[in-house]
Parts: sequence; C-alpha cells; structure tokens
Amino acid sequence: MARDLDIVSPRGRLTRAALAGWAVLIYVFLFAPIVLLVVFSFNSNKYGTFPITGWTSKWYGQVFHDYQIRDALTTTIRIALEVTVVSTIVGTAAAFPLVRSRLPFRSGIRITLVLPIMIPGLLIGISLLVLFTSVLHQQLSPTTAVIGQAVYTTPFVLLLVAARLQGFDASLERAASDLGANTYQRLRYVVMPLLAPAILAGALFVFTLSLDEFIITLFLIGSHNTLPIYIYTQVKFGITPEVNALAALLLAASLTLMALAFVLPALVRRAVRLVPRKAGA
Amino acid sequence: MADAAAIAFRGVMKRYGSQVALQPTDLEISEGEFFCLLGPSGCGKTTTLNLVGGFVSPSDGEILIRGQSVNKHPPYRRAVNTVFQNYALFPHMTVRDNVGFGLKMARVAKRDAAGRIEEALALVGLEEFADRLPAQLSGGQQQRVAVARALVNQPAVLLLDEPLGALDLKLRKRLQIELAQIHRDVGTTFVYVTHDQEEAMSMATRIAVMNHGRIEQVGTPFEIYHRPNSAFVADFIGESNFIDVDVGPGGRAALDNGAEVPAPEPRRSGRATLMVRPESIQIRRIAEANGSGLRGRIAQSSFLGSHTRVAVLCDGVETPVTAALFGTEGAAASDLRPDTEVVLIWDPADVVLLEGAEGKEADAVDVN
Repeated sequence: MARDLDIVSPRGRLTRAALAGWAVLIYVFLFAPIVLLVVFSFNSNKYGTFPITGWTSKWYGQVFHDYQIRDALTTTIRIALEVTVVSTIVGTAAAFPLVRSRLPFRSGIRITLVLPIMIPGLLIGISLLVLFTSVLHQQLSPTTAVIGQAVYTTPFVLLLVAARLQGFDASLERAASDLGANTYQRLRYVVMPLLAPAILAGALFVFTLSLDEFIITLFLIGSHNTLPIYIYTQVKFGITPEVNALAALLLAASLTLMALAFVLPALVRRAVRLVPRKAGA
Repeated sequence: MADAAAIAFRGVMKRYGSQVALQPTDLEISEGEFFCLLGPSGCGKTTTLNLVGGFVSPSDGEILIRGQSVNKHPPYRRAVNTVFQNYALFPHMTVRDNVGFGLKMARVAKRDAAGRIEEALALVGLEEFADRLPAQLSGGQQQRVAVARALVNQPAVLLLDEPLGALDLKLRKRLQIELAQIHRDVGTTFVYVTHDQEEAMSMATRIAVMNHGRIEQVGTPFEIYHRPNSAFVADFIGESNFIDVDVGPGGRAALDNGAEVPAPEPRRSGRATLMVRPESIQIRRIAEANGSGLRGRIAQSSFLGSHTRVAVLCDGVETPVTAALFGTEGAAASDLRPDTEVVLIWDPADVVLLEGAEGKEADAVDVN
C-alpha cells in the first residue's frame, strides 16, 4: 500500500516525515514546560531550577509538613467539594426545563445559561465582589468563593446533562408510565440511571475546574488561601522546589480526575452488565 | 356478552387544534378478541391506541376499560400495557429487570415476581436470555421481550403499536404466527395497530378499517374482504376492480355504453359502483360466451407462478379490469395473446354494489 502511495505522490515520504517532525514540535511546545516542572520537583537543587544536582523526593515530604500548605489544601478540597455538589444539583435541575419544557426563546435561554463559560473570570469575580461587599455587606469567605466558582462551573454540568437528555428516548418514559411508574418512579428508575454517566462526568469536571480556579477565587475568598493562590503568593518571592512539587501534585490530581471523568461512565456501564451475570451464575 | 366489553368508546373524538384526528367514534371490543386497527398512515389508528393507553386524552366522549371510565386515569393507572413500535426497552436493565419492571412498580412480592417473570420469558421462549441487556439481543428477540414485559402484568388489554414494523419480512411472518399463538395461550384481549392489511388479515379476529380519522368498517377478515362497505375498504384490503354502472331491479347493471354485466339485486336503482375481486372473474373466449358478460380485449397476460394475471381492456370501462386465474384456469390462460377478444363473467354473488357514483359514501348491499 505504501508503494501505491509512493507512485501517486513520489515526494510523499518526505512530506510525511516533515509533518511528523512538526507534530513533535507542537508536542514539545505544549508539554515541555510541564515536564520541566515535574523534573524540577525531583531536583535536589534548592533553587528549584537548573542545574540538576541530584534526584530527591524530599520536597514532596516538605509540602506535607508545611502547615500553610496543609491549610490551603484543606480549603481547596472543601471548596471543590461544595462547588461540585452545588453545580451538579443546579446544573442537572436546570437541564430539564431547558430540554423538556416548551419555553419560548429556548435557544436564547440556552446561550445565556452557558454564557458564564465565556465571560472572563475577572468579570465574574469583580461583579460578585461588588455584590457581596457593597450590596449584601457580606464578609468574604470560602463560601463566597464557592458561590463565585459555581457561577462559572454550573454551565458545564448543564451542557453535559442537557446533551444527554436531548438524546434521551422519550418512548422509554412512556413505556415506564405504561408499566405503572408514576412521575417519581420514572425519574428514579429510568431517567436518572440513564443520565448518571453525564451527571458523574459533570461532577468530576467541576471538581477539577474548582481545584485550580484562580481569578474568581482570588476576588472572593477573603483572608483564606487555596492552593493556586498560595502558590501564586509564594512565587512572588521566587520559585521554590516546594512550589514545584505542589504544582506537580496538583497536575497529577487534575489528570487523574480527568481520566476518571472519561473512564468512569464506561466502567459503570460494565459493572452494571457484570453484576446480574454474577447473580445468575 | 353479559360482561362489560374489554374496551368501549362512547362518542370518543380527538381534535388537535382545528384538525380532527379521530371523528366521534363508538366502538366495543370484547374480552379475548384479537382486534386490529388497520389503515394508512395518518388515519387515526395510533391516536385510537394512544387514547386507550392514556397517552392522549379525548377531546370528547368517554373511554371505558372493563366497564369503568378511564378518562381521568393517567397511563400508569390503567389496566392496559403497550408493546411500542421501537420496543422502548430500558437499555440499562437486563431482560429480566425489563420484564419485571411493571411488577416492581406494582410492588409485587419478589418471590412471586420472579416466578411470573420466568413464566413470561418462557411464553416468548427467551428463558436463556434473562441476564442479557437489550442491546445484546436481535430485533426479533427485543420484540419478544417487549411482549413479555407487557403481558407479565396481566393487563385487561394488550396494546400493540405496529410491533413488527421494524423487522424484515421473513421474521415478521414468523412473529405473526407467534403472536397469534401467544394470544391463544394467554387469552388476553389484543388491540393491534398496523398499516399492513396482510398482517391484520392473518392474525385478527376482527378488523376496524380506518381512514381520515374515521372507522370505515368493523368486521371479521372474511367480512371485510368479501363485503366491504366502501370503495376505500375494498381498495385497501386486497385488490379490486371498480366498474361504474346503472343498476335496476332484477339484478340489471348497465355500463355507460348500455352493455349489461352480471350483478346482484340492488337496494335501490340508480348509479352505483360494482366491485369485483380479480379472482372472482372468469375469462371466456367470445365463441364460448353466452348471456351477459363484460366484453373486452386482452391487454397483457402475466404468469406469476401461483396464478396468472390478465389485464383486459373493456368497452365502457375506463381502467383495465384485472383477473387472477388460478390452477387449470391459469394454465388455460397461457395462450391468451394480447388483443384476443374475450368476455369476462362472474357470479353475481361475488360482487359488491357500492351505491353513489364513486362508491365513496356507499352502503354495502346485502346480496344474499
């Protein structure tokens, strides 16, 4: 086959080699900084940069012994969990009227609902800051940060669940109704199980977004620190190896969660398929 | 029929805006019937089924299931179950859980439910597939699961909405036989919607032929075929020849050119359409003919295996008249070359007179 191609375009091999080289360059451009950061996090050089003087994992140990980092980590995870719960519930609930009801201007409403994804975080941060402090006279706290982040993350859940709901075969609900299921039972046994993969993916997505959300959080968190904010404040005094280690950890966590968001729905489906077979054996 | 009918419509009608989907309709379906709603798409047959199932509420009139008005009951409170056209099996549940869904909703004890599920699966021959997901089954198997899932609830009536529409012809034929068998086994009233007249004829105990939101005729397959009460029914079920005639006393039926053709005694004299099935027509050479008959010339003779179809251009009739000749008659017709002069004859008892010029609003004439 390769030979057939060579006949059609004699210089094809050269072109393909050039394209492959270009692809490698793009990869280097995208990922070299991240790889470098991970490499530095294992570098024993205490300035956290070249030259590499030896390999160590002590920076990771120090990360966990620093009370400021532990504090920021706790705040980050707490906020991420709260944002996930709020966004998942609000986003899922909002998907139903968006897809199912006969609202006028439905596509317009859809666009406005997902607008926060496109609105600069700066704007969301400032507008909520004004709202909380000047209008509502609220103390800034992790809770105000949760609300701010949820404004930005909820549309992601909404989009994922609405897409799934759009493809939902309405005759399944008719069938459930025909078989005696009332509204609650239809939701419980038919609609929710079929939406679950989308809801789960949405939740994981939100959690990941929340973990490293910076701008909105910076405006609204008050005197507390999340990890991204802590890292930012540390970098002002120079890059330390601890910061490298911390960033590498954050990266690992994000990647794991993202992978889960993709893999989990398939795993759930497979589990559903396996369980009854075990019961039958 | 001392008991209340399984289903009764009392002046039921359905309107969508200004469009009438079902004209005011009275209908009774008895316990144990295999009742077919037959008609072209848009004739109101699915609307009728949805009215029984509760997915559509009537604009007027009353629907009774086993003598009880169900107008205000949502689908989940009606003693009917439906086999949907696309089966609508729950993709996240095994065959067993699909079949057991209705029992679970009705809070039937787990042990009783397990037995009934097995029974229902045995009825449709799918015991070994209980732990599969719907996606792992063929179309025919999915259709059987849908039947089992509906029947396991022991409904007063089983509604089937073109359940075989998505299957290929061979499988459809087999499942037609299976469905009729299941109907005999369980004795449940079946109401079956289809646009396929052969399907209706092969399974139904009674057929309602529908057109333009109206039931044109209700009867056994035999009645519908041999005694259609309108040109629409005659045309929709099987094949028919329609010949415009002037009828008079004594079974006199004259074409526009004055020639007389065999016909039964009419209910009243005047304009009528004479309907005769192709297989009721016999062909005689002009030399052999005696008495009245329809004269014409052979246009085309086609041998189709089981029978021979002959199209004849007749004097005084606009469209060619089709005759279907079986057996020895068919063999004899093989030497009928085009332009051979022939006379078509038929037994007046095999003819239906549809009165009114086009037979459109015609009443059937009782010829016996």
